[in-house]
Amino acid sequence: MIGYFYIGLFYAAIIIFVVGTLNRVYNWARSPVPYNMCTTGGQQKSLDWIPRARFDSPYTKLETLGRMIGEVFLFRTLWRNTKYYVETQRQTATKWLWIFAMAFHWPLLIILLRHLKFFTSPVPGFIVALQSLDGILTVGHPELHMISILATDLIILVGLGGLLGRRLVGNKERSLSQPGDWLVLILIIATVISGILMRYLLPVDIEGVKLFAIGIVTFSFVQPPIDFWFLTHLTLVSALLIYFPFSKLVHAVGILFSPTRNMPNDPRKKKYINPWNPPYTGKSYDEYYEYYKDQLDEIAEEDYRVKGDFDLV
Amino acid sequence: MAEEEEIKIEQKFPSWSDLLKPITEKEFYPGYYHYPARKEDWEYSPLPQPWHEFNPTEKDWHLPEGWKETFLSKFEELLHKQRDLFTFMDICVRCGACADKCHYYIGTGDPKNMPVARAELLRSIYRRYFTLPGKLFGKWAGARDLDEGVIKDLYYYFHQCSQCRRCSLFCPYGIDNAQIVWLGRELLTHLGIGHRFSLISIASCLKSGNHLGLAPMGMAGSLQSATEDIYSVTGLEMDVPVNKPGADILFVAPSGDYFAEPHWFTMMGYIIFFNYLEEKYGLSYTWSTYAGEGGNFGTFYSYKCAQDMNAKIYKEAKRLGVKWIIGGECGHMWRDKHQQMATMNEIPDNLEEPVSPITGTRFDYATSTKMIHTAEFQADLIKNNKLKIDKSRNDHLKVTLHDSCNPARAVGLLEEPRYVIRNCCNNFYEMPDHAIREKTYCCGAGAGMLADEIMPIRMRGGMPRAMALKYVHELYGVNYLTTLCAIDRAGFNALFPYWKLQPPVAHGGLSELLGNAMVLPGEKERDTDLRGNPLKGKE
Repeated sequence: MIGYFYIGLFYAAIIIFVVGTLNRVYNWARSPVPYNMCTTGGQQKSLDWIPRARFDSPYTKLETLGRMIGEVFLFRTLWRNTKYYVETQRQTATKWLWIFAMAFHWPLLIILLRHLKFFTSPVPGFIVALQSLDGILTVGHPELHMISILATDLIILVGLGGLLGRRLVGNKERSLSQPGDWLVLILIIATVISGILMRYLLPVDIEGVKLFAIGIVTFSFVQPPIDFWFLTHLTLVSALLIYFPFSKLVHAVGILFSPTRNMPNDPRKKKYINPWNPPYTGKSYDEYYEYYKDQLDEIAEEDYRVKGDFDLV
Repeated sequence: MAEEEEIKIEQKFPSWSDLLKPITEKEFYPGYYHYPARKEDWEYSPLPQPWHEFNPTEKDWHLPEGWKETFLSKFEELLHKQRDLFTFMDICVRCGACADKCHYYIGTGDPKNMPVARAELLRSIYRRYFTLPGKLFGKWAGARDLDEGVIKDLYYYFHQCSQCRRCSLFCPYGIDNAQIVWLGRELLTHLGIGHRFSLISIASCLKSGNHLGLAPMGMAGSLQSATEDIYSVTGLEMDVPVNKPGADILFVAPSGDYFAEPHWFTMMGYIIFFNYLEEKYGLSYTWSTYAGEGGNFGTFYSYKCAQDMNAKIYKEAKRLGVKWIIGGECGHMWRDKHQQMATMNEIPDNLEEPVSPITGTRFDYATSTKMIHTAEFQADLIKNNKLKIDKSRNDHLKVTLHDSCNPARAVGLLEEPRYVIRNCCNNFYEMPDHAIREKTYCCGAGAGMLADEIMPIRMRGGMPRAMALKYVHELYGVNYLTTLCAIDRAGFNALFPYWKLQPPVAHGGLSELLGNAMVLPGEKERDTDLRGNPLKGKE
């Protein structure tokens, strides 16, 4: 019976994740961007002989796409990070946040893709290939049990450890960290550790897991194996899915909507239309003229030219 | 600042829950808070009426009845009008990459001056009233109730941001405090709460066409005096076209350049530059008194204010029948002209794609707004050898360039001024890499922060820039800082003496350097630069 509870939980989590995230996206998308607000990180397109920064100050749609790809997949902005030393009033480049962020997000992506092997039958070739590329070392007794250690499993721990560590050690980061920030990190770390335990130390009924996963995809409601670590893993993943749309985790989707990054730096080239642009209510020239009539007429009488009293200089 | 006093930057690291607590009236001590707006300025502006009278240092601000409902309904309205605000409220992960990028945080050590914490002031309200976890878990979800203390928080800290966008550059999601602060200030205006310095400038600009409140003859008189000063340096009698119908080009400078010092020398530079082009190549251009302001203090406050102020440039361009527009050296002006002016207003039909009548260069990146920057125009002329330049006239100067925030991070105007400087000065040195170009530090005086009542914040906020300058001053003997921004020029007047950099380091505009170096037909042999300081070898 308990198995059906987990099936229900997982479906509920998926539905909340999908509906909640779509709702978020819908809200962002229908809110207009009133004017071009690109944040430029390099030379604009101006005179032909001045080389422009194509990805930091994108001028075309393609270059803007390039900038976004750089942001989403390479975290180029974090690569630019600096640290300010108040004591010496100097700043230096720092890559720690970039390293930890890369060490967490890339393995996360690969691990998620690897998990498709549970949900597909037959398993697509690229997933098999991905997993074999991921293996760095095969350990165990060749006749009894062989297991391949996956690089991503190790790297993600480094990344998560770093992200947690900097919030613990860094004064500024500790001040900024709210309960939600710790919660997300702890949930993810616990999920990763339960997964690693199942893979390497406390093997789980892998066929049972696969049948459960296929059952989820095909709506045939196969109960999961009643295994403490697997059910823990499943619960944590469900919690993350449910929490996703209501938390800062939406940054994964939200970055695509960030107007300072996803707009080309071309507002002088193309007129940008604001759907709610209000009408002008300021002073007209005629009112201005009425107010300063004598002075403006005086300028006009001099044939609109002003010159100094050079004799007096 | 009469007494010598060692400045201490006291960094504080409160717990997350202390960071959520609003400030109290005790923290409104002199030098750290802005004076509230005056009634007469408020009523002249397009801001929501009525104006609210309050004293920031008092415990009770006597907020108008129903203020919470007003605030929240306007907040919700803004979320649905500005995608930037909506996404920025949701996607911050509090990684802290922005924290030590803010010059006010670096200089004050006040944790709520970290850009992320400044945004959290508003984000906590967003969570409490517009998200499920905030409604359910309150403080534990980073939410807090809207009370009078929160309004004090917003008033205090949203006026400790110069909207320089440095945080946006370093944020992995591009979250921009300039936008959040702008919109946060707009929310406060719905309660009748505003900021005196900005509102004085806004009201003057709406009345007279410029922030300084100069009447047409005041502006003309200023141009006239500048030609007299040019006469003393060059022996040439120049005249300046003003409000001239039928000119080809409208030139718009920030109004600070008409009066303030060292803006004045930039003004002389503009006149020399355009006069030369007029005499030599028959360039047809005009200044304007109605469109006598390039800057736009409305962009610090609300969309409506910004629109009412930048509309004049197109209106004047239409009335005079010009073909295109050149804008002078100003910082936030160029965010406004580059990103906002053409969206907020109708572009007049009589404007054409800007083409330099002298070089034939088509400024094809400005086909919509029809407006280019003086540095772009000058760089093109120099590249095509249309100006005669004697670089040695700037040999008494060792020059560095301070990129202004908005031209750097909202336009990307980085190489053009450098090209001009390299072609009119022999001694050009860059400040450290992380303090220039797109990573440039603010002067500490942008977005209304030029107000004198907050001098300690300005001095602290300008500290990173001052220290970068000090570095090149000690290393190379730099004695002149170029800046393409009128607010910088005004702000540095206080900043550099405070950090014991002035003297010996002077500061001024790019056109001033060009005006020094341009060789004019029929001029007398120059012994001094535009400031009257002796040239090298003529001491």
